[in-house]
Amino acid sequence: MNRPRTLAAIVLIWAPLLVTVVTWMMWSDRLPARMATHWSGTGPADGYSSARVFWGAMLALGIVAGLAAIGSALRRGGAVGLRYLLGVTGALAGGVAGIWVATATATLADPADARLGWRLLWFVAGVAWGAVVVLVAGPAPATTPPPVPAVTPLDLGPTERAAYSTTLRAPLIIAVTFVAAVAIAVVAAAGPTALWPVVAVPVVALLLFGQVRVTADRRGLRLVAGLLGIPFKTIPLHHIAAVEVAEIDPLEWGGWGYRVTPGRSALVLRRGPGLVLHQTDGRRFAVTLNDPQTPAGLLTALLSRAG
Amino acid sequence: MLFRVDVAAAEPLADQIAAQVRGGILRGDLAPGDRLPAARELADVLDVNLHTVLRAYAKVRDEELIELRRGRGAVVRGDADAARLRLVELARQFVGEARRQGLGDAEMLAMVKEAQP
Repeated sequence: MNRPRTLAAIVLIWAPLLVTVVTWMMWSDRLPARMATHWSGTGPADGYSSARVFWGAMLALGIVAGLAAIGSALRRGGAVGLRYLLGVTGALAGGVAGIWVATATATLADPADARLGWRLLWFVAGVAWGAVVVLVAGPAPATTPPPVPAVTPLDLGPTERAAYSTTLRAPLIIAVTFVAAVAIAVVAAAGPTALWPVVAVPVVALLLFGQVRVTADRRGLRLVAGLLGIPFKTIPLHHIAAVEVAEIDPLEWGGWGYRVTPGRSALVLRRGPGLVLHQTDGRRFAVTLNDPQTPAGLLTALLSRAG
Repeated sequence: MLFRVDVAAAEPLADQIAAQVRGGILRGDLAPGDRLPAARELADVLDVNLHTVLRAYAKVRDEELIELRRGRGAVVRGDADAARLRLVELARQFVGEARRQGLGDAEMLAMVKEAQP
């Protein structure tokens, strides 16, 4: 985590709350007890509520956004997703402050017949505050690559060329998926015909992941759905920063099958040894393999050759 | 499994690739039913001629280790026997060395007979 920038982003997320508090102190004695709080379009108001309660709600939402930002910064350390979580909470904090300012200024301009009009822009500006937060938070982990255990590169001579190819099968996953397909089909046949299209889900999963060919060569890493011949994951060599051999724990990577979690994705067919690629954009990709040393050594050799 | 070829080596590229397939079956990297990479793809990534790979696959097919089927590609045969393959590989080395030393077929056969306990 880039601490100073993350801290600055969190300060910015709390800043709209200050606007909400200061403007209340400035305007509260001039605002009616019940103020216009809902508009359809930019015309006259069509909903009213207590000024104090409305302000309190906007204040509470801003505090929730600020606390959520602190919480995600603490929990998600240097994860890639942090920047966007901060952006979303910043947009929320800015947005509720914008709603408050737009609503209050509309009422102050004409308490008898409040019209929103151009003041909607306060809300738009508030949401755009999220983009400012994203810019300030900056790209997270690319500047601090995690230490990767070194892989012994394959001793590839200058006149040698090499390519790795293997086929993955997961009999257990195939069996479970097959049973799921049959179970859904039986239920669908028994009554709710709307379920029939759902049968396609395990069938497609079976076709895609029942058999996967993994290749590592001068193009990079490729995963091809074996039964259909469709490449569903390719990582070009020049997008690979480092290669690692690791024990893959399905719980750590989001479960079994093809998993996508913020900052990383994986094809996990079992617990055990696997290949982990650190990409140049900071993302990671893992695939479980019986012999990850071979493709890891080959890719490392190809990377050092590419320079 | 790993395919590696050396373009500077004296051994023809097709023979090198065929040897890699044999070695894969011998070590158990390739099991019966396993599919070899498509010839076109392997030629592309190794940067060799497509016909070189096809020649290598045909060679291993003639040794009854793989099957070549239109549409299915190259598949390791169910009866591809790693133990027998090991013997064939030893015989190949024996014959190669004997030829280098100028031995004829009769002398080689005699040596094989002598080798019996």
